[in-house]
Amino acid sequence: MASPSRVLVVEDNLLNLKLVRDVLLQAGFDVVEARSGEDGIVRAQEDQPDIILMDLQLPGIDGTETMQTIRRTPMGSNIPIVALTAFAMSEDRERALRNGFDGYLSKPISVRDLPRQITEFLPNWSADD
Amino acid sequence: MSMPSAEDHRRLLRDYVDATEQFKATNEVLSALGRSTSDPDAVLDTVVKSARRLCRSHVAAIYLIEDGTFRLASSVGLSREFVRNITDFPMEVNRGTVIGRAAVERRVQKVPDVLTDTEFVRVDVQHLGGIRSSMSAPMLLDGEVVGGLSLYRTEVDPFDDREEALLESFAAQAAIVVRNVHLVRALEDRGAELARRLEQMEALSEVGQTVGSSLVLDEVLYNIIKNAVRFAGCDGGSVMEYLEEERCFSVRTAYGSSPELLARLRTIRIELETTLVGRAAREAHPVFVPDLSQVELDPHLRLLYDDGWRSVMAVPVLRGDRIIGALVVRRRSPGAFSEEAAEFLQTFASQSATAVYNAQLFHELEKKSAELEVMSQHKSDFLASMSHELRTPLNAVIGFSEVLLERLFGDLNERQDEYLRDILSSGQHLLALLNEILDLSKVEAGRMEVALSTFSVAATVEYAVSMVRERAARHSITVSQSIAPSVDQLTSDELRVRQVLVNLLSNAVKFTHDGGRVEVIAEPVRDELLITVRDTGQGIAMEDRERIFESFQQGPREAPKEEGTGLGLTLCRKIVTLLGGRIWLESELGHGSAFHVALPLGVPADTVDANAAESAEGREPVVVIIDDDRSSLDLLSAYLTGTGLRVVRARDGDEGLSDIHRLHPAAVVLDIRLPGTDGWMVLETLKATPVTREIPVIIVSILDEAARGLAAGAADYLTKPVSREDLTSVLRRLRVLPQADTALPSAHSGIVGRTAQD
Repeated sequence: MASPSRVLVVEDNLLNLKLVRDVLLQAGFDVVEARSGEDGIVRAQEDQPDIILMDLQLPGIDGTETMQTIRRTPMGSNIPIVALTAFAMSEDRERALRNGFDGYLSKPISVRDLPRQITEFLPNWSADD
Repeated sequence: MSMPSAEDHRRLLRDYVDATEQFKATNEVLSALGRSTSDPDAVLDTVVKSARRLCRSHVAAIYLIEDGTFRLASSVGLSREFVRNITDFPMEVNRGTVIGRAAVERRVQKVPDVLTDTEFVRVDVQHLGGIRSSMSAPMLLDGEVVGGLSLYRTEVDPFDDREEALLESFAAQAAIVVRNVHLVRALEDRGAELARRLEQMEALSEVGQTVGSSLVLDEVLYNIIKNAVRFAGCDGGSVMEYLEEERCFSVRTAYGSSPELLARLRTIRIELETTLVGRAAREAHPVFVPDLSQVELDPHLRLLYDDGWRSVMAVPVLRGDRIIGALVVRRRSPGAFSEEAAEFLQTFASQSATAVYNAQLFHELEKKSAELEVMSQHKSDFLASMSHELRTPLNAVIGFSEVLLERLFGDLNERQDEYLRDILSSGQHLLALLNEILDLSKVEAGRMEVALSTFSVAATVEYAVSMVRERAARHSITVSQSIAPSVDQLTSDELRVRQVLVNLLSNAVKFTHDGGRVEVIAEPVRDELLITVRDTGQGIAMEDRERIFESFQQGPREAPKEEGTGLGLTLCRKIVTLLGGRIWLESELGHGSAFHVALPLGVPADTVDANAAESAEGREPVVVIIDDDRSSLDLLSAYLTGTGLRVVRARDGDEGLSDIHRLHPAAVVLDIRLPGTDGWMVLETLKATPVTREIPVIIVSILDEAARGLAAGAADYLTKPVSREDLTSVLRRLRVLPQADTALPSAHSGIVGRTAQD
């Protein structure tokens, strides 16, 4: 990678946020944090991330609504937005996709797999990278 | 008010069933009474038969007192010899027999064993009849003992309180028969009035028959008041039920009254202490007001007066000493009520008591069910949010220990590595427990959704095996699978089937010694797919076989290599049941265990959602099912699996209506409680539209409003829970399905059992 991909992580729980951040930093990503949906919308505009990881259950406006708000902005229309969902149930995953997320990652996240999983969502990624 | 428990609910249900049974018996008596006013013996025969059946006795007999002795009037179960003996040597009204004692004491007498009863003198009667446990009730008419109803068993098996209450009520019915006999005899002497009286008897009989033909209570109550009003020569009336807790009456239904009046009547509380109706109930006899303009008006009478009513009679509905409700009849003109009308209505009211009582019970039951439902909802909401709160920190525990174990931030020594693994596995264990608790609470709240799809059995087994392969390898356990060549696809909930298999397999690996074997076998057995997970572990003792399916019970005593959550098998059983299958266990201590799961194979149901159904249109007849509850939809669809019907599902009234217009189905299965456009509106729309008017609509609802449904044009009305047979027989009757049922696969009629609320 020429310059590290920037990941915006929107997650209200401090420890889970720290975990994702540290794993991604260690894997060579640039990480931007947001602790709420409102904050996430602002960070998405100002920091121009390459991908957004979005917790679904956020205080105030929830993950789905935050995603849909970001989608309506010029930068948000083609950026991958991936749901972080605590529910391992299929109906929740299907709901996330139906609501317009590009994908989902179930919690607990796999520390080993997370960097690769994120790379797969990035637009300029190809298998022989 | 205190929250009801499940026990309350069961008790109430039992009372309701008891009352319904008794209701039927009463009705038989009423019907017999209506049929044969000139043949009272036939009516008494019905009473003794009902009493014998409901009180589980060998013999039941009614004796009438004539000249100071008991004359046998009707009996069932007595030998000819006994009858001859009791006719030649009748029992006397004294303490020497059970029935004599009942007449002397004027209340029910129960003797656990007449052989040990010191006062019992009729050894000949005991000997001829083999009497042991015995019970008798006096028949009282206007305070006078006119006879008795006697039961006995030929073994020592004392009668209980419930049976005592039943006997008392049957004796009261028998007394009514005697009263009616007297009435009829009096009538016969008064030729001019005969026709009119007979008309009244027919009114009673009509009530009896309505009650028998349906248990639709409002209809019954409506019939009661209609007949009461008609034959008392009045213009209108109402039936009230008594609310014991609130000490007031509430209007259930009315006849000859405007809807506005009925609505207003239903909003008021008619107090026991301060109203005319209350006075009638307190004094236990009819009370009337010939001219409302001449008296002080209570709120109920004020309402009637303002609506133009001028004379009123209130008749209490009593059951023994207990106030059940009241009948009120009224006229638009002032005037007294005749003695005859009062007498007639009192008889009428006593015969309506069971119907009104049933109405009360039924409503209490409905109310308690609704409360239980709300509580169960709260419980599962609580569990869902709890498990979210607990999972969030667990995710951090699991994640950070993984970060360290992955050596992302440097190397670890052996001890650190070991402890981190302990933290990680404890965290994962807790997480699994939370997920299972959440799943269980979903099943229990009836909220676990069954997502049917058709999937490969081999792939599912392979997936489950792959989940345990690593752990098995660590303990040198061989995991093999054998899938019969004829096994291909299964229509069920793939995710849930996987979950069950993973659970059984990880148990098998957990409880098998190092170097052992675990095997998965899938084979069709009749019309089921049988999946067996067999291990060479230590086996499970006979006495533990049921217990291990209960929450937090682990099987074998020997400490397993890894601990489980203790919920896995409970959940497995609930899921398998929800999928219409069975799970059981074969095991021998020391020789391993085999868990069997049988799932219905069946023909895949065409349970596609409406928008996906478009392309398959036009082949099979279509049935549109409209129900907002997913599990109910799944269940009803599953019932129609393999019937050759294509099922199109709609989750609300508007979606259903658009499906019906588009597909013109052979039948519609309609729930009433729907969000937005409810079932009544859907039905009304269909019946008001020429192109849809002829489509038969089967209402399937938790609400018991058959009369309203049928009146609104429904082809049939089923009250939930509905069995497969209920639904298919209606469809056969409507010729949506062929008349003969031979084409139907029978064995998976239990498919997709009810959600686990029962």
